[in-house]
Amino acid sequence: MGDVHVVADHLAGSLTDVTFEMLDQARKLAGDLGGSVVAVLIGGTEAMVSELGAASRVITVSAEGDFNPEIYSRALRTVVEARSPQVVMVGNTSAGMDLAGALSAGLKLPMAAYCSRVEKGGTITATSQLYGGKMDVVTDLGNGPCVVAMLAGSGSAEAGRVSGSPSVESVDLPAGAGKVRFKRLIQPEAADVDITTQEVLVAIGRGIGSKDDVEVAVELADALGAAVAASRPLVDAGWLPKSRQVGKSGVKVKPKVYLALGISGAPEHIEGMKSSATIIAVNTDENAPIFDVAHYGMVADLFDVCEELMELVE
Amino acid sequence: MRIAVPLKLVPDLVEDLEVDASGTSLDYEDLKVGLNEFDDHALEEALLIKESSGAEVIVLAVDDGQVDKTLYTAVAKGADKAVKITGADPRADNQILGAVFAGVIGQLGVDLVLTGVQSAADRDGQLGPFMAAGLGWPSISVVTEVKPSGTTATVTKEYSGGIMGEFEVDLPVVLGIQAARQPPRYVPVSKVKQVEQSAALETVPSAAAAQESWSKVVRMAPPKKGAGAKMLSSAKEIADILKEKGVL
Amino acid sequence: MLTPVERILFLILVLICGTLAFQGFRRIFKIVRSGRPAQRTDRLVGRFLKAFWEVGLQKPIFRARPLASLFHAFIFYGFCFYALVNVNDLAAGFSSWSALNAGPVFQAFNLFSDLFSILVLTGMLFFLYRRFVLKPRVLEFNPTVLLHPKVRSGGIKMDSLIVGSFILLHVGSRWVGTAFEMAEIGHTNPWMPTAGLVAGMIEGLPHSTIEACIHVCWWLAMGLIVVFVPYFPRSKHIHLLVAPLNLALGRDETRGRLDAVQDASKPGAQTLSELSWPLILDAYACIMCNRCHEVCPAHNSGTSLSPSALEINKRYYINDHSKELAAGGPQAGLLEYAISESAVWSCTTCYACVRVCPVGNEPMMDIIELRRNRVYEGTVSEELTEVLKSLNDQGNSFGESARRRTHWTKSLDIEIKDAAREPVRYLWYMGDYASYHQDCQEVSRKVARVLHAAGVDFGILKKGEKSAGNDVRRVGEEGLFEVLAEENIRTLEGCQFEEILTTDPHTFNALKNEYPQRGGRYKVKHYSQLLLELIENGQIPLRKKLSARVTYHDPCYLGRYNGVYEAPRKVMELCGVELVEMPRNRENSFCCGAGGGRIWMKEPEDMTERPSENRIREALGLGGVAYFTVACPKDFNMYGDAVKNSGNEDKIAVRDIIDFVAEAMDLPESKEV
Repeated sequence: MGDVHVVADHLAGSLTDVTFEMLDQARKLAGDLGGSVVAVLIGGTEAMVSELGAASRVITVSAEGDFNPEIYSRALRTVVEARSPQVVMVGNTSAGMDLAGALSAGLKLPMAAYCSRVEKGGTITATSQLYGGKMDVVTDLGNGPCVVAMLAGSGSAEAGRVSGSPSVESVDLPAGAGKVRFKRLIQPEAADVDITTQEVLVAIGRGIGSKDDVEVAVELADALGAAVAASRPLVDAGWLPKSRQVGKSGVKVKPKVYLALGISGAPEHIEGMKSSATIIAVNTDENAPIFDVAHYGMVADLFDVCEELMELVE
Repeated sequence: MRIAVPLKLVPDLVEDLEVDASGTSLDYEDLKVGLNEFDDHALEEALLIKESSGAEVIVLAVDDGQVDKTLYTAVAKGADKAVKITGADPRADNQILGAVFAGVIGQLGVDLVLTGVQSAADRDGQLGPFMAAGLGWPSISVVTEVKPSGTTATVTKEYSGGIMGEFEVDLPVVLGIQAARQPPRYVPVSKVKQVEQSAALETVPSAAAAQESWSKVVRMAPPKKGAGAKMLSSAKEIADILKEKGVL
Repeated sequence: MLTPVERILFLILVLICGTLAFQGFRRIFKIVRSGRPAQRTDRLVGRFLKAFWEVGLQKPIFRARPLASLFHAFIFYGFCFYALVNVNDLAAGFSSWSALNAGPVFQAFNLFSDLFSILVLTGMLFFLYRRFVLKPRVLEFNPTVLLHPKVRSGGIKMDSLIVGSFILLHVGSRWVGTAFEMAEIGHTNPWMPTAGLVAGMIEGLPHSTIEACIHVCWWLAMGLIVVFVPYFPRSKHIHLLVAPLNLALGRDETRGRLDAVQDASKPGAQTLSELSWPLILDAYACIMCNRCHEVCPAHNSGTSLSPSALEINKRYYINDHSKELAAGGPQAGLLEYAISESAVWSCTTCYACVRVCPVGNEPMMDIIELRRNRVYEGTVSEELTEVLKSLNDQGNSFGESARRRTHWTKSLDIEIKDAAREPVRYLWYMGDYASYHQDCQEVSRKVARVLHAAGVDFGILKKGEKSAGNDVRRVGEEGLFEVLAEENIRTLEGCQFEEILTTDPHTFNALKNEYPQRGGRYKVKHYSQLLLELIENGQIPLRKKLSARVTYHDPCYLGRYNGVYEAPRKVMELCGVELVEMPRNRENSFCCGAGGGRIWMKEPEDMTERPSENRIREALGLGGVAYFTVACPKDFNMYGDAVKNSGNEDKIAVRDIIDFVAEAMDLPESKEV
């Protein structure tokens, strides 16, 4: 009791950032609960274990192949049933969605999804971001056991990334129905980018000045693992292909982060990106309309900002 | 092949949302609700399967007093039957709704359940896994393609960064649809009106036992946000935000 | 004059050609009749009288291309007169009659036939020269336009050549024939001056040659007509007969009102026979002159839409399949041969094609019917689906909450009455753009302040207002339009007002022309009309005379559709600005490209220049014009973008007429609330 189980989220051979963010949050929570942080690694590799140093213990369940919702859910249920943690943290990711729901439904444990925070006050409470981010909803999960699905970015991955050699306990994979069979993992093609599927977009507007300066944005985008998008004038001028145009007569995008550089914020452009989860705008004009729509803004020269950001990212 | 598509109505996110007097729920007065966009995709995927390999598509929804139009629209798009479930709270937690839908679907002899992977109101997690637990069937979420063949189906699950996983699953199964193969089709208002006049909705009382929610809302409030953009003064702050959002 | 053998041969020719022609014409009748019903045969006498008057004065033709229209007038009047000439020649052939030396009336006849022959020949030579030597670009189609293979391989040119040759030979040989007749009797007739010149040259020929030539000329002249008659059903030349008919049976309806859906279970049209019969008749009336695509904003911007290609393709398809079509056999879909799907959605419904067509064709109506069918089938683009959904769910095309319709009033320092709660004199029906679009909101605020300063009693509907649905109807979503109209009429029924005011011409059109049939009868005024009244009666005192050189753009739904041209001009004049007209003004105004739901859709891939940028170029071509004046929120948006995107911000700026009024009345600056 009092333990916080953090289900390690991994994809294509590496642990994802949300795992470490959860470990970071779990440490404080476990402290408040008077227990310890236990990482649960289902499938995955030996190397991953050493990355989970932020946990006191690691429970491993070895499983063949990549993620399989049926097998991993059964494994997790076995672990939780046996160990009775007070809180089970699962990443609110594609894999996590299968695991969290199955665990809650299978063991009839209260659950909160889309969580940015989990705290212990009198009882355990979780704050969920619902209704497209328009409402923060605080749920009373009682005294556990309970399941929380944590959003990416809800903790500090840096703080949670501690290498070490936590004690490892391995649990056998329970036998099961085998109704879901993993076939293969498909990696995306390296064709020209569909900006509507990108998580991060570096969008440029007329502030970019000339065709040659587009390079600056491309470099920053590469460094961030993002794609370059553009407002209409640049596409009209032929500096970028039409597939990169955001706006009324281009495409509508909803990335996690929309970095608007040198974009004034004409309504037609706004229309194409206003549903972005986080909009960061950089413009030399403090009255640029983009600042009305952006979540964060900076009155600065976009070239300076690009240079600095590149240094920080490297 | 018989496919069930449970539908949920959620607040139209284009609206300004307000909290009611209790401070634990949305103020639903005057609030426009509409079909959860992911359920629309689930319906579209079901109709595409029907068109390519033949299937009977049954849509279901819990009665909230204004759900008829949504059900008729689904029939106008091509669904074969519409079932309205009465005697259940349409705004209950998914844990409860899962049991409600499972209770009705379990009686229908269905091979496949397609539902939206998530909705804006999923406080206690997504509907799919709860339904699957109630039916005793496997469940896979974040699905972008379903190809049934006989007693199995090939399912494509989407991870982040464009990576996808392919699975083979024995039917029956519950799938949480992220996106249909093509955007949900348009159905003209006149067709919906024609369906309203000619077709009938089947009304079924909920068979699930009454349940309490496993958790309670303590407080609901809009997130604290400054007016307009929060102005920053250095590129470092931008980098921090990128990290916070999990993209750096 | 003809030998008995010749007479018999001629009669046999008439019989054969007559039978062939009759078959052809009967098929036409059947094919046209296979179309859906339309109410066009009321007051037949009045309709035909009007048509003959218009055609007689060549009015529809002179709407465009003055030079070509002049030469056409030559040919038209010439051919009208040639009816008499042919009767005369027939009589001359079958008897010993000759008008050459007959009484004074016939000398007048000779003079006219001589002069008209020259006019027709001149006209025809001009047209052949134009098509085959000058080769104006307007006779070509954009590369992405769907064209019947025969058209693509020069079918129209061939048709023109055949018709041109026929006319030259028919008229030419008749005219030369009279020269031979004069040569035969040895002296020229002063009443036939031009033929007389030729007669002088051939006088010396042996008598037998002259005799033979007279017969040859007669046969060429009269025989060609007979032989040509069966060609009519295959040729655009049939417009001789069909155009006046098409004009007489034309739509006698307000321009801004679309036809009702014929069959609710299968709205719109997919095949030719699902179009109403006047639209099938259009294919026969079409002279393939391309005047319609010359004024079409979609064609001018390089896209695949050519209204003339639509009619031409229909005609060529009918020519290919006339037997099966007349028998009611299966037909290909219009989208396979007549017009591409992309072209159907490129139309802005500006009405320019219908307005300019000299033979009364309505290609825009075909497009509306095709759209109705596409919408019914659910084959609608993703962007349009989203907009229609937003209109259905929230009553506006912006994807915004209905409750945000009044956000534009937040920064106003005046209170605006709620027309749903208290009686007002003018109910200001805003329209989506004036309420929701950031740039247009500025204009709306200015209008509110001007009206307030003028002491006008007005109010707005606030969140109860829904889109009037003008463009919903024009994209083919009849059901949604009906729903919106019904709800809006119900809302208006609960209000007390004298007149409806609007700044949006699309809203103006719907409320004025589409709503009365649904029970919504209102007095609707465009704000330019109200502003004029207020200025003229002193409620808006103009204290400053502005001095600026400006031009004015007539919005499609205010001008061409509803005839309001003078009010905005007078308002501008009274404000003191110097108005310079663009070449394409008033009824000939060039659409900004937003109508017909196009402002909701992505730009077509094949667009080479936006219509709005084309228009700005036209304005800049006037030289020294500082402001491009608009009186429509969508125009304000489209032209503002066009000036920015074409890099002309330092050369011209967009102004709404309210900007001039506010400045001229010295309205104090607004205080931000």
